Amino acid sequence: MNDDSVTLDSADAPVMGIDETIIKIDDLSFSYDLGKTNTLRNISLDIPAGKVTAFIGPSGCGKSTLLRCLNRMNDLVDTAKVTTGKISILDQDINAPDVEAIELRKHVGMVFQKYNPFPKSIYENVAYGLRVQGIKNKGVLDEAVEESLKKSALWSEVKDRLDSSALGLSGGQQQRLCIARTIAVKPQIVLMDEPCSALDPIATARIEELIAELRQEFTIVIVTHNMQQATRVSDRTAFFYLGELIEYADTAKIFGNPSKKQTEDYVSGRFG
Amino acid sequence: MAKHFQRTGRKLLGIDRQGWIKGFFGGNATLSIIILFLICFFLITEAVRFFPQHHEKLQLHRKSGQEYVNHIITEMNEYSQLVSLTNQAYFQELNEKYALQRGISNSFEAFLDPLEDDGEDLIEALEDAEDDPEALAQAQADWRAFVSGVVEGANRADIDSFGRLDDASWAALKKAMIDYDPVEEEPPAYVTQAQQELRDGMARFEEAKNEISSAGRELKQLRQKLVKIASKVKDDAAAEESAAERKKALLAGAETMTNEAEKAAQIEQANAIVIRDEFPFAARTEEIAASKDAHKAAVAELKEKLGIAVAKLPTELSSEEASALLDQVRKAHPPFVKWLDESVAKASTWQWDRKLSFFGSAMKFFFGVDWVTNSSWHDFYGLLPLFIGSFEISLIAIMFAVPFSIGAAIYVNRLAGRWEQTLIKPAIELIQAIPSVVLGFFGIVVLGEGLRDLSQIEALSWVPGFPMQERLNVLNAGLLLALMAVPTIFTLCEDALNNVPRAYSEASLALGASKLQTVIKVIVPTAISGILAAVLLGFGRVIGETMVVLLVAGNKIALPDWSAGLGVITQPTHTMTGIIAQEMGEVTKGTLHFRALFLVGLVLFTISLCINVAAQRIIKRLGHA
Ligand SMILES: Nc1ncnc2c1ncn2[C@@H]1O[C@H](COP(=O)(O)OP(=O)(O)OP(=O)(O)O)[C@@H](O)[C@H]1O
Ligand SMILES: [Mg+2]
Repeated sequence: MNDDSVTLDSADAPVMGIDETIIKIDDLSFSYDLGKTNTLRNISLDIPAGKVTAFIGPSGCGKSTLLRCLNRMNDLVDTAKVTTGKISILDQDINAPDVEAIELRKHVGMVFQKYNPFPKSIYENVAYGLRVQGIKNKGVLDEAVEESLKKSALWSEVKDRLDSSALGLSGGQQQRLCIARTIAVKPQIVLMDEPCSALDPIATARIEELIAELRQEFTIVIVTHNMQQATRVSDRTAFFYLGELIEYADTAKIFGNPSKKQTEDYVSGRFG
Repeated sequence: MAKHFQRTGRKLLGIDRQGWIKGFFGGNATLSIIILFLICFFLITEAVRFFPQHHEKLQLHRKSGQEYVNHIITEMNEYSQLVSLTNQAYFQELNEKYALQRGISNSFEAFLDPLEDDGEDLIEALEDAEDDPEALAQAQADWRAFVSGVVEGANRADIDSFGRLDDASWAALKKAMIDYDPVEEEPPAYVTQAQQELRDGMARFEEAKNEISSAGRELKQLRQKLVKIASKVKDDAAAEESAAERKKALLAGAETMTNEAEKAAQIEQANAIVIRDEFPFAARTEEIAASKDAHKAAVAELKEKLGIAVAKLPTELSSEEASALLDQVRKAHPPFVKWLDESVAKASTWQWDRKLSFFGSAMKFFFGVDWVTNSSWHDFYGLLPLFIGSFEISLIAIMFAVPFSIGAAIYVNRLAGRWEQTLIKPAIELIQAIPSVVLGFFGIVVLGEGLRDLSQIEALSWVPGFPMQERLNVLNAGLLLALMAVPTIFTLCEDALNNVPRAYSEASLALGASKLQTVIKVIVPTAISGILAAVLLGFGRVIGETMVVLLVAGNKIALPDWSAGLGVITQPTHTMTGIIAQEMGEVTKGTLHFRALFLVGLVLFTISLCINVAAQRIIKRLGHA
């Protein structure tokens, strides 16, 4: 990158106080087919730093799509296009021509619905993000791996078998490993797309605990279908319906006293 | 009550439609398995019968003394290579240093033809006029006029066909031709002088050269003598072996005859065939056995004379090429002498009745270095040069094909845009549609010529094997086979890459890896088993390929000359597939040669089988990890 391009390097990234807006979505419309139809329509949403924000809504309403806009994973779709509006993260328009998706993703990590560790050792999975950044120093890597595994509450379970394949872990462990892998690169924001949907209730509970831990250090955006989960883990909740943002407020308000009829119908289980 | 759940539809021969369909497909499957089995059975039975027959041949080879004589033949062959190198050097030097003198001498001779043909009458007149000074003067004048006419009218390019003469010497020669005396056939002084210069200048070299050529005279004579004896013994022994059969056939034939006289004659002929229990090998090969000392002496003489002669070879030459050739001779000389001793020692252990193990004769097939058929001397069936040829070519093919096809697969699968995908993929797969004979044709005409021209560029002479001597060679065939392997490897690789879950690449990208890093660090390692299997199957594809190698490999049955280092890839070779295709058409069923070809086929089949099994194993084993 050339010198006057804007990077999202943690050194020059502004430090966010709690409740300051870290992600600012402004009138965003997004299309998967070069603008013929908009999958997301005119979404405006400010996500505060240091909090957990939940996206809820019926299937196909565009939660994942919006989430994937935040780290530009939608770049992988040839015909995907932001039709109007913009997304700013740390006050930087992430779709500006001089922003590198690769750099952005080092700051905006992502955990997927289906746990997907690489077919490598546990150690290599966690070290992967650092290795692709060119870090080779064993000491630095060791330290980062241990720290990330500890933060993901996995260290005690795997510390004796760091060199065995990650695919030998249980589903819940694998998902926690994916979280460890994501936080090892020290992103400011962690996006989670239904991280528990493939897990049993016990494993789910552990991930939820983990999210509660991680909120102290990261801004978390989580997509979930599970209303209880949203109430348990999130501070703010956004409800989407058919590609539009219907209501966005504190979680307690959304579930206790929603201002829109659609929201109420959805959270009370009348449809969705 | 109505019936329920009944089968409907008509039956044919008591079998309903479902049954017929099932039978059709099942029958097809069974048939193909049976055919496969029959092929294997036929291949194996023919091939395996090679061993006892070959064993017998080799036994005869030993008993008849051919085995012993063969040592001498090989010694002579190796020696004549030294001779031929020296001769090449000699003529190279001659051509370069004494081009002018040779030009004069040759052009003079070229002039003689028109002079002697067209001037026949004049020469006769000269001869007739010998005693008559007046007539002589007239005849000489006529002759001179004729000569100058011919000389002036001669086309320079016809006379000095190599263009060795410069203008001055051309003029001088033309002038000198007047002095040619056709009666005495005495060349003019100008020519004799040139010839003398040449002779003097090359005298030392010529002497050394001639000494090298004659150093093996004794050995050569011995070889001639012994070859005759051994061949005769072998032929007689073979004839006698079939004597009983011939006799039986003659008698049986006689039975059916009606003409009494003919019948009697045939019976008599049959009875003339003597059947002995044992062919008297010991007695018949006595002379060969007794030649061991003569052999030693001949080799000793060869060594001594050769040593002296090689020392005499000139070191200062004006032709670079000639000095390079002589350096080769000097370099090859000591190992040759050493090898001679070994060869003589080995030969001296020969005894007509020494036992030959079955295993040993089998090994002579697998590790034999000669493949010589239809020889009046002895047929050799050695797989090694063919095996190495096949492997060399396949390895080169794979070396070139692998980076290309894996690279293309990765590009198409992971990096290319949609329209590039729709273009590249079918294009590569289309290569498969090129008939291999067309490819071979292309290899001979385009690639062969192109490579050779390329290899002659000065700036590329550092490349091993450049400049290439042969247009048809390992490299050429390997490159073409690489082209044939690309679609196989590409397609299988692409499949393997496709099978890598999307989630892996997404996870990698989400961690801030670039596309390239994702490919190298995640996708390729995950697909590695499939990629390896693809490479193996590509190897199997090329090692079984026939047409291209038959056309392009050069078909020279010889072990690679490793002294050329990496340059071996520009040598011609022959392959297992090529030899079968080339020779199967003209061999008689049931002969040793026929079975040898089957055995080569079996070896090929086994290799392919192993490769396929290995590929499947790799996919299974690594695929589950
Ligand atoms: N790669 C894609 N290409 C084209 N259309 C897509 C793509 N991904 C999603 N869509 C469409 O965009 C719409 C929103 O999908 P999205 O996955 O964002 O929904 P979601 O809210 O996450 O649903 P769920 O709760 O089922 O995960 C859907 O209609 C879907 O068909
Ligand atoms: Mg989704």
